[in-house]
Amino acid sequence: MNIFFTIISLLFSGALLVFLINKVVPKITGIVAFIIIAVVSALFFTQVTIGETYQFTMGEIQMQFGVTYYTYIFAIIVLGLSTLASLYSIQYMEGKERLGFFYSNYLLTIAGMIGIVFSQDFISFFIFWEIMTWSSYLLVIYNGHDSNKIGMKYMIFSAIGAYAMLAAIVSIKANYDTYIITEAIQNGAFSFADHIYIPIMLLIGFAVKAALMPLHVWAPKAYSKSPMSFTVLFSGAMSKMGILGMGLVLASAYSYANTESANTITALRYALGWLGGITAVMATIYALIQTDAKKLLAYSSVAQLGYIIVGLSTGTKLGVMAALFLAIVHGVFKGALFMVVGAVEKQAGTTDMTKISGLIRRMPWTFFVALVSIIALAGVPPLGGFVGKWMLYEALITESNNYFLVIVIFFSSTAAFLYSYRFLYGLFLGQEEKDTDHVKEAPITMLIPMVILAVILIITGTFPGVLFEPIAHGMHYLGFSDVNWDMSILVNVWGLESNMGHISMSIGVVFIVIFTFLTIKGYKGTKNVGTKDISTSGEIPTENENLSYQLDYFKPFERAAAPLYKRSMNKIWNDLANALDAVFDFTRKIYTGNGQTYAIFVVVFLVILLLFKDTLFAN
Amino acid sequence: MVITPIHYIFVPLVAAFAIPLLSKINKELPRIIPGFVMFYNIIISVVLMQQVNEFGYVSEVIAGWKAPWGINLIITPFSGFLVSLISVLGFLIWMYGYRFKKVIDRGELRTYNILQMMMITGAIGIIITGDIFNLFVFLEIVAITAISLTSFYRERDGAEAGFKYLLIGGFASTLILLAILILYTQVGTLNMAEIAERMHTVPAGIKATILILFIVGFGIEAELFPLNGWVPDAYSQAPGPTSTAFAGIVAKAGVYGLIRIIFTLFDVDGAYEFLITAGLITMIIAEAAALKQTNLKRMLAYSSIGQMGLALIAFGIGTKEAVFAAMFLLFNHAIIKSLLFMTGSILMYNSKDKTINSLNGIYKKLPFISILFALGAFAIVGLPPFSGFWSKLYILTAAADKNMIFLIVTILAVSVVEIVYYFRVIGKLYFSEHESEIEIYKPTPQALVAMTVLGITILVVGVYPDLVSGYFHNAADILLDKASYIRFVLNAESAIQ
Repeated sequence: MNIFFTIISLLFSGALLVFLINKVVPKITGIVAFIIIAVVSALFFTQVTIGETYQFTMGEIQMQFGVTYYTYIFAIIVLGLSTLASLYSIQYMEGKERLGFFYSNYLLTIAGMIGIVFSQDFISFFIFWEIMTWSSYLLVIYNGHDSNKIGMKYMIFSAIGAYAMLAAIVSIKANYDTYIITEAIQNGAFSFADHIYIPIMLLIGFAVKAALMPLHVWAPKAYSKSPMSFTVLFSGAMSKMGILGMGLVLASAYSYANTESANTITALRYALGWLGGITAVMATIYALIQTDAKKLLAYSSVAQLGYIIVGLSTGTKLGVMAALFLAIVHGVFKGALFMVVGAVEKQAGTTDMTKISGLIRRMPWTFFVALVSIIALAGVPPLGGFVGKWMLYEALITESNNYFLVIVIFFSSTAAFLYSYRFLYGLFLGQEEKDTDHVKEAPITMLIPMVILAVILIITGTFPGVLFEPIAHGMHYLGFSDVNWDMSILVNVWGLESNMGHISMSIGVVFIVIFTFLTIKGYKGTKNVGTKDISTSGEIPTENENLSYQLDYFKPFERAAAPLYKRSMNKIWNDLANALDAVFDFTRKIYTGNGQTYAIFVVVFLVILLLFKDTLFAN
Repeated sequence: MVITPIHYIFVPLVAAFAIPLLSKINKELPRIIPGFVMFYNIIISVVLMQQVNEFGYVSEVIAGWKAPWGINLIITPFSGFLVSLISVLGFLIWMYGYRFKKVIDRGELRTYNILQMMMITGAIGIIITGDIFNLFVFLEIVAITAISLTSFYRERDGAEAGFKYLLIGGFASTLILLAILILYTQVGTLNMAEIAERMHTVPAGIKATILILFIVGFGIEAELFPLNGWVPDAYSQAPGPTSTAFAGIVAKAGVYGLIRIIFTLFDVDGAYEFLITAGLITMIIAEAAALKQTNLKRMLAYSSIGQMGLALIAFGIGTKEAVFAAMFLLFNHAIIKSLLFMTGSILMYNSKDKTINSLNGIYKKLPFISILFALGAFAIVGLPPFSGFWSKLYILTAAADKNMIFLIVTILAVSVVEIVYYFRVIGKLYFSEHESEIEIYKPTPQALVAMTVLGITILVVGVYPDLVSGYFHNAADILLDKASYIRFVLNAESAIQ
């Protein structure tokens, strides 16, 4: 059997298998799911050759499976994260209800994502896209209660996106007579020369999954309410499927643009760039005021996806490269962070940053992973996030001259420091609480994937070259030629080199020097006190007094930004939904339930038809 | 014994008369006999479809009177496809309804079984007859049995629903009869093939009038807006197996009537545009109304109207691909909506006050039924990899080929609404706390088998649509090839006897 089919059918039959196993031996469900995913990953990385394609027909439609250099990048994200997340999931999900349901949808989601990576025609792409969507919907509502509403919102937005995509796909078939993606691109489907609505509709479809403003409103809650071992995939890998599609459409648009369509594409680039920028800023501002660590990370995910879209929108070599690099790195550090939050939730019972603090002593390894990931997220050298952001700024400044956007991005990434700090301080630093005395370090199977992700972050930050290799191949596939890179050196358009190794090294040295200096200086005259020994200048604090600044820390900022919070996109969509609801209610009342009314309908309809028969049925 | 199309009509009629007599011998017999009849229908369908594959047509001349003088029954790939579908569904519905709880309670076994069997026979008759007056007779059989079954429970609501159906159904019969009368005065024949041949002699104004009478008459059975007021009441009040048969079988017969009239009998400009417009309005209003329903069966009824509207749109596009898509949709609707009604009836029966809200967390009590319901819901909204996806895709492709962007956008927008109301139910089924403490009535094993068969069909066709699409192509080709239909019926002596 063909390797692509083997992988897909392994995942599908695995979904059925875990469902059945859960009925018999519930304890090993998670382990079986992990083994299946690990086997799939092993098969993929050993058996699949890039460029190999396989054609078949289904439903009288020519379909094609294969992996290109471009989709290979996303395969790495999906399979890498899936394997680690499913290992993490074994202990995380332990003791929860309906594990069979959870794991079989888990495998279906992964099958959907892998299918998207394999698909080289629009129909199988769409099929897997929808499988991914509905199985992830079932995972979003897994926790019950108010998840129903959240899941509904997610499903509605996904459906709008998917159907925009489907409309574009059938139009491609009608106008360019092919479903094969590369053929459609070569026939100029994305050239913006004619049928402009086709690429736009596709972009809308992808933008929903990539949580781009104004289609992002489902994301924060869906990310934070799902089980964390799934959110790792949801935010880390599934959002990247939107990026995959957007990258493909945009890159083809840049490559196949002609003089007529160049202006349209420039306008689109600006529009997308600004949407991405605004998404980044707004999501960051919202992340700042969250008191729940999960929600903070969810908003932060949306913000990071905004950066990636800004990168794609530049249309330059460096910008797209930055976007792809950030896509991988974001998958890694956001995966690690959601795992951290999941571990805290599992061990301490809550992720509310106002309720717990000082977990650093209880969960040192978890703290280590959180620290490394937060550094990467904030874009501080020497970790991966820095390299990506450096490239993004360079692309924006030198190659597309979009200075205002640079300011916006820069603002957002500075503000990101604030919430990064809040996250670290809120959960791990600060004063230890009595309630958290019982908390222990996360179990080993949860720690291993977290630590692996942290190590990957350190490696990719210091030697970004390991990621540049697949990305450069992928860029070449997209039509960007001559992408120069070295193990840690990036060459820009003018041949100037940005040596990430040197930058990281120098910053590392400075960091160590300052750290040592401060430690030596501060060591003198310090005495160790217990973490609960609070000095209050002789006064005994009442219970109302706030001794920790994890509460209301950003109060001044919140006050300043208050007008922004009032007008949320969420509210606009809700108003729209209510208006539609009223229309539907009105429509329902056409069916009065009264037999006489129905009889009158029939008579009136008959009379109207007879009156207009000559116009209706001219012969 | 040679199997011929007349067996479809003859065997159930004999059985219907035999049931009251045989029920004196054994109380179980009225329940079992329809099963044999339905199973025999499947055998007939298999044999006849083989002959159709071989010769293209099967025709039977009744009592030796050749067409156009006598009544003839014709199986083309199109009608054969519909009849086979109805036969299989009829058998599954019998399995499902065998010892259906409420039917046992009431003890009205004989009436129920005879009516249900005759309703299916009537629907088959509508499809296979070649004579327009005969078609009217079968339509009446369907209407009378359907109305009686609607008010089967003899409760206030049931009686009200039955009365509404009677009122509107009365219009349908009168208008169709009137149309046949006028048509007869114009062409002097009742044979459909001959009518089609002579249609060009009819003056345009009269032709349009006849067509309108037919459209309104059959539109009532085909659930066309604004003629479908009876549908939600009838579907929600009828016993579970009957509402399944309404959606899967009766609605199909109505659509067949409408399509046969428009495609074969008349060649009027504007009829196709009319189908698209009427289908579009029907679909939009029905899906919008479905969103606000609190009763599950009513919701399914509105959704069924919406799907019929979509089928009419597909027929109205009129190209080969579109008609093929419409066939696929009819097939999908038959199996998926039947599954939804079967599972939905059981879920409703076990809920506290018959509302969607009282389904909270019923998954824990009825896991298998809930999964099947979810499967049906996923399939009907057109999510891959279930069969509903393919029909939707083919309809959209056909619309795109004719550059009907507005149509595509509307169909997809309505699909979003569909997703909302179906997923709302799924969310309730699975992820809310179950509070009600009523005793759960478990479905019978036969019912489970019937539902499982439908569920597996949905999955298999979803994964491998090529399994069935050949039949739909044949059916679509022959529906559009009016000339060969006429030629064949009028030279029926060359047929296989």
